[in-house]
Amino acid sequence: MIRRWRARNHAEREFERQALAYLDGLYNFAMALTRDRTEAEDLVQETYFRAFRGAAQKLPTGDVKAWLFTIMRHIWINDRRRRARQPDAEGLEVGEEEPGRAVMADDRHRPDLLHEQNALGEAIRRAIESLPEVYREVIVLRFLEGFSYSQIATILGCPAGTVMSRISRARAELRKRLSPYVYGEYAADPPHGGANGEGEEKRLRRGGII
Amino acid sequence: MREHVAHLIELYLDEELQGEERRYVEAHVVECAECRARLEWERRFMALLAHARPLYEVPESVRARVEQMRARTPRVRPRAWSWALGLAALLLIGLALRGALRERVLPPTADHTRHSSEFALLAADTHQRWVRGQLPLEIRSQSPEEISAWFADKVPFNLKLPSFREFPGQSKPYQLEGARLVSFKNDYAAYVTYRMRNRPISLLVTSETVVRPSGGEEIRAQGLVFHFEEINGWKVLTWSDRGLTYALVSDFEERGQASCMVCHPGANEQHKLEELRR
Repeated sequence: MIRRWRARNHAEREFERQALAYLDGLYNFAMALTRDRTEAEDLVQETYFRAFRGAAQKLPTGDVKAWLFTIMRHIWINDRRRRARQPDAEGLEVGEEEPGRAVMADDRHRPDLLHEQNALGEAIRRAIESLPEVYREVIVLRFLEGFSYSQIATILGCPAGTVMSRISRARAELRKRLSPYVYGEYAADPPHGGANGEGEEKRLRRGGII
Repeated sequence: MREHVAHLIELYLDEELQGEERRYVEAHVVECAECRARLEWERRFMALLAHARPLYEVPESVRARVEQMRARTPRVRPRAWSWALGLAALLLIGLALRGALRERVLPPTADHTRHSSEFALLAADTHQRWVRGQLPLEIRSQSPEEISAWFADKVPFNLKLPSFREFPGQSKPYQLEGARLVSFKNDYAAYVTYRMRNRPISLLVTSETVVRPSGGEEIRAQGLVFHFEEINGWKVLTWSDRGLTYALVSDFEERGQASCMVCHPGANEQHKLEELRR
């Protein structure tokens, strides 16, 4: 019996260690979803609250990271639906982008911005924030958190084919938004259409990508 | 460059291509300078995004609150109690063995001790969390028919809660409160809660094929074999009957046999409980 309890305690500690290791990733995903620091903080805390409560009943088996991100997205979607039903939501529909929030409303005194002094990092953050939500979430999940397409499909609750097309379009949108920083005068066009390898490298160097 | 190949390059870099398609891209970029450049360019673009991570740093206040939340989350069994609970369980087994030498109590069946304890522990722990308000019910109803119907498509066995039949001069001694599902051995067990004289009672049910009761003090009564354990102050009776295994948890006196009234409330059934008395 004691051995079983020890095994359970060990499993609990291992789960907690893993769960806490994903705090940075979850906070970044929360920021990608909400684009609001206060909302992101609430979302992170609610996610951990539900995860710890669920794990106290039954430890998750399998991919803890994907499980946590799935919980977070469910909370976010349900919260938005609930708010959309409220009369003071001013008719904001689920999935509709709020025009005034194309970028963070107030970036002054933001200690959470790592790349304030880094123009490229700041540009990437702003470019991602300016994408529609369906693209923001796949960009963060794929390129920042490294989830596979099938994991993303599980987190978003949609077919893998949908994830594939969203990632492709999100990539293209991100290229456009980062073109002044990454591609220089070559704007949004990806480097194909007659470029040879040498010429391409010059362009990339000029654009700052390498 | 064909769009088709451009898309394949993206999938290739995302590790989403296997077999034939993967080999096709690898062979194609060796021959096609344009696609090779595109692949390298995309690779660097992805590296750039990855290096920007994390875009935001978690505020220390959030980190601290999450850590506090972790520390405050109740565990199934608090770590500090493990040894004490282990010793208590050993003591119970010792008492049961001693009783076996004196009375009609039989020694526990060694074959099923592990499973039995697990089920009894789950029942006691679930009951404790419900009593503390840490475990919400998924359905609240005083109707046994409604709760039985709720379980119908959720558990892999047929559970029919008995309806209370009033006898002249007898009022209903207990109230059915509600139910929920509880995970057990990769499936769900049915968890039903009652109150009698304002004291909580809970019944955990699963299939006999999932677990058979054993361990603790073994008592033969009414053609059934009951197993009694006291866990964290809760009286836990487990038994199997007609393909189902039950665990009844309460804080009633002696072996908690009064809690059996939730299924056997009739005046003519009271004598059946006598055999469970100490």
